[in-house]
Amino acid sequence: MAFERWLPTLALLTAAGCYTSVNADEAGGTAGETVGDGGDADTSDGDGDGDGDGDAAELPSPSPRYYRLTHEQWENTVQDLFELSAPTGHSELFRADPQVAGFIFDNDATSLEIDEALWTGYRIAAGLVAEQVTDDPDLLAKLMPPEGPSEAERIETFVRSFGAKAYRRPLDDQEVATLTELFVAAPPYYSGVSDSFVAGVRHVIEATLQSPFFLYRIERSETIVDELVPLDDYEVAARLSYFLWNTMPDAELFDAAAASQLHTAAAVEAQAQRMIADPRAGDMVVRFHQQLLEAEKFETISPSPNFFPDAPADLGELAAQEHEHFIRDIVYGGGGGLAELLTSSETFVNDDLADIYGVPGVNGDEFTFVELDPSQRKGVFTQVGFLAANSTSVDPDPIHRGVFLAKRMSCLQIAAPPDGIPPLPPLEPDQTNRERVAAHTSADQCATCHATLINPYGFPFESYDAIGAWRTIDNGQPVDTTASPFVGEQAVAVAGALELVEAMAASEAIHECYTMHWAEYAAGRNAVPDDWVMIQRLGEASLAQQQSIQELLVALTTAPAFLNRAAEELP
Amino acid sequence: MNKINKRPKHSGKFGRRTFLAGAGGVAVGLPFLEGLVPREARAGSDLVDPFAIFFRQANGVAAQQSTALGDEPERFWPTTHGPLTPETVAGRAIEELSDHLDRLLVVSNVNANYFDYADGHANGALQGLTAQGPVVPGQGGDSEANGESLDHRIGRELNPDGRDSLFLYSGKNSGWLGGPCVSYRGPGNRRAALHNPLLAYQTMMGLDSNQLEELIARQTSVNDMVRDQLQSLVSSPKLSSNDHQRLQLHLDSIRDLENNLTCSFGVDELAVLEGLSPGYDSDIGDEVLTAAMAHMHVAALAVACGYTRSVCLQIGSGNDGSTRYRNLDDNSLMENYHYVSHRRASHDNSGDVIANADLLHSMVDRQFAQTFKYLLDLLEAYELPDAARLIDCGVCLWYNDNGNGPAHTSRNLPTVMAGGANGFLKQGLYMELNNGDDTVNHARLLNTIGSAAGLRDANDEFISDFGDPNFDRTPLLELLA
Repeated sequence: MAFERWLPTLALLTAAGCYTSVNADEAGGTAGETVGDGGDADTSDGDGDGDGDGDAAELPSPSPRYYRLTHEQWENTVQDLFELSAPTGHSELFRADPQVAGFIFDNDATSLEIDEALWTGYRIAAGLVAEQVTDDPDLLAKLMPPEGPSEAERIETFVRSFGAKAYRRPLDDQEVATLTELFVAAPPYYSGVSDSFVAGVRHVIEATLQSPFFLYRIERSETIVDELVPLDDYEVAARLSYFLWNTMPDAELFDAAAASQLHTAAAVEAQAQRMIADPRAGDMVVRFHQQLLEAEKFETISPSPNFFPDAPADLGELAAQEHEHFIRDIVYGGGGGLAELLTSSETFVNDDLADIYGVPGVNGDEFTFVELDPSQRKGVFTQVGFLAANSTSVDPDPIHRGVFLAKRMSCLQIAAPPDGIPPLPPLEPDQTNRERVAAHTSADQCATCHATLINPYGFPFESYDAIGAWRTIDNGQPVDTTASPFVGEQAVAVAGALELVEAMAASEAIHECYTMHWAEYAAGRNAVPDDWVMIQRLGEASLAQQQSIQELLVALTTAPAFLNRAAEELP
Repeated sequence: MNKINKRPKHSGKFGRRTFLAGAGGVAVGLPFLEGLVPREARAGSDLVDPFAIFFRQANGVAAQQSTALGDEPERFWPTTHGPLTPETVAGRAIEELSDHLDRLLVVSNVNANYFDYADGHANGALQGLTAQGPVVPGQGGDSEANGESLDHRIGRELNPDGRDSLFLYSGKNSGWLGGPCVSYRGPGNRRAALHNPLLAYQTMMGLDSNQLEELIARQTSVNDMVRDQLQSLVSSPKLSSNDHQRLQLHLDSIRDLENNLTCSFGVDELAVLEGLSPGYDSDIGDEVLTAAMAHMHVAALAVACGYTRSVCLQIGSGNDGSTRYRNLDDNSLMENYHYVSHRRASHDNSGDVIANADLLHSMVDRQFAQTFKYLLDLLEAYELPDAARLIDCGVCLWYNDNGNGPAHTSRNLPTVMAGGANGFLKQGLYMELNNGDDTVNHARLLNTIGSAAGLRDANDEFISDFGDPNFDRTPLLELLA
């Protein structure tokens, strides 16, 4: 279950069945304790900086020790391990992981398993990679040890060098011996390989790619120091690389780990800053936001040709492209933060999208940087993708727009709707879409959630139609975009979507919610109450210091929770 | 504009070379099974152990009902209880199975419980093979089932070395309830499905090279290393229960390769498989069902060879909400199936009314029936050395996890069984449970099918422990031959 922010002012709604809190036992807290109690700035015991001054300590929460690589991580890791020019594509041999309810991202460590089907895929892929690498003289040359005084020494050099990269840590002597045995035994297994040394290399590659030490990112540290279990340098390197790059550590990280230079926050900060500047971090940032903002849903955009005859047939694809350009530009083009994500009027459009946005002078299929009319457009939620994906083929869908913003961006918890909801009736003459939805959700059992939490987040976007175009008239009537959504702990009166996103950008609760999602992605698990001190500190800094997303990520990597394991294990 | 920096995408198409090179070196001709019989097969009528194949459809069927849009006639169920005849199925979707009427057991009034899933599809799909409620109540589309599914239980208890049963999925790999959603290892532990039929075959075969003896030998040495490593990891006292469970599954999943080419497709069958497979991730109904037929080829081979005692084929996501099936009258594409089942052009009943939606729904039912028939034809075509047919060794269940269209009820779940499981089940009948009353009996049905597939309790009796213990779980003796 996702960790949701507790809003004391909405406590009445709990009794009404709409707003539910996290199961404290399941979330690791004390029965009866509310999630946000320790995180409220005014009521917490301290500032959460972990400086030992009596503040609420910022400690890591218990977490898994075994993180199976996602299929994308497997591809990236194999590519980097062998310095390939492109991914192998062999992850197509792997069955898809199940989409487990309650976790947004694709890296939920507790659900990433290896069953027989995936094991078979791994095994076959390992053989194919080994064959590809050893059949290519250039690739093979990168692995071959220098000529030495004896073949035994060359074998050991290769095994230690390659094995350390594959296992992402130095091998112990027993592991060297095991791989050496495989190396020596190899020639009969590869009758088509004439060079026995190459056969040994191939067999070791094939074996290591099937090893749990390759397939999982493993944290083995156990020693408790000051109530924490500090990760060793190699474990820190792997946390950094798989979080920021979605792949294995590079040579510089390995060197830093070997030199025990990843023990301090300052050293980790320097590495994180270096890594975030790398294009691989850009890919990660885009992928994070695609999952957070449900960009995959854009492909379902299908406006009615009767009502929108000029809408491009590939509107969903265009929206997805705009989304990627926008996210990359926010994070890397201007060094923006959450505030810019929510309020920037700058984006990228082709001619079709320009028509929808009412931007003149854009021709052709190529995406071009533009500034949209800031009186109509601010941020990602006023763009075509979010708006059209949360519409029917004819009308905007304030319910789904509202549910998404309330749950995903404000971290409000809203119970699932009951079964048997009657259909939304047809529009009556002179009735607006808002009026229809408001009337339809006015019954007591609906209004509990809709009137307070959902509709106020959706109605401000009634100024955008089902393909995301600006509108002021709906069914012959002026659109009404006023509402009072809960942005943080207060209901905030807004005149429309632009005021709403400005209010969100200025809300500590929204910054904390966004930070929580990053923390979940970094940890590969849902947040739990004990994470709140860190989330609150980082969220506050994101707002108060108007941090860029890059700065937020660096701050996350230097938090005590990132550099240590909890002394307590998961049950 | 900013330049987009990306890792270059691999151009790899999942090709036959990637995983099957040489695997089909020994041609095995259907329909004769002699070449397919596992080496340890016993003589006589026990050549193939009983098995269960589950074929799941969503959204209910076009049964007689009255809705806000008017009365809808019966288009699915046979006309009268009793023996199934061409007359009793005429005009009904089950008519598509006329070639197999003497092997069918159609059961009405199978009633599931209304657990607090807060969604009719979750209640149907997640309960369908588990007979369990949710892990956390009231989560709607974010629900998970609170128990193991029957297909997995059969595999866990009856498969060689507890090997995973096959869980196959055809349709878009996303959507309501996350796409594949009916098979569970245990509470909240949803299984990954095999989506591409070629991957399913790869998993069953496990072989990928012409140089089989070399491959087997070198993989044995690799397996030894990996098993040692995993044994060491699993024995660590620092493991959480989740870590331990995942590592143990990994350890249990490592298989020693065998030269089992006597139980593989020949070149011609491989070509058929490849031809049927590409649409497994489509939202076009014909492509989805064709890929399901590919899965059926794998399923038939898998049960014939004793690779698994159960297979589950799920078609479409929790509400099959993106697949567009064919209008049988004019071959056009309908609206997506979930819309059709709602009779309106929206997922939430807010859309415009779809004309003749109940008729369209019945056309979807017929296409599922035709696909089920494909499976039955395949199994019938497998002739055992003792002249028995594979279809008679096991039971195939075509079920729908909702009873009807817009309401998506959990009562009167469509239940069509084929094959007697080596004489375990009645056949050729249309039966009604509990005299048509409202008794919840879904768990009883699953315990019956589990017993038909060979599950037994500690006293070697039929199982009666599957599903939520708050409900009657004794087998339905009236269904037994």
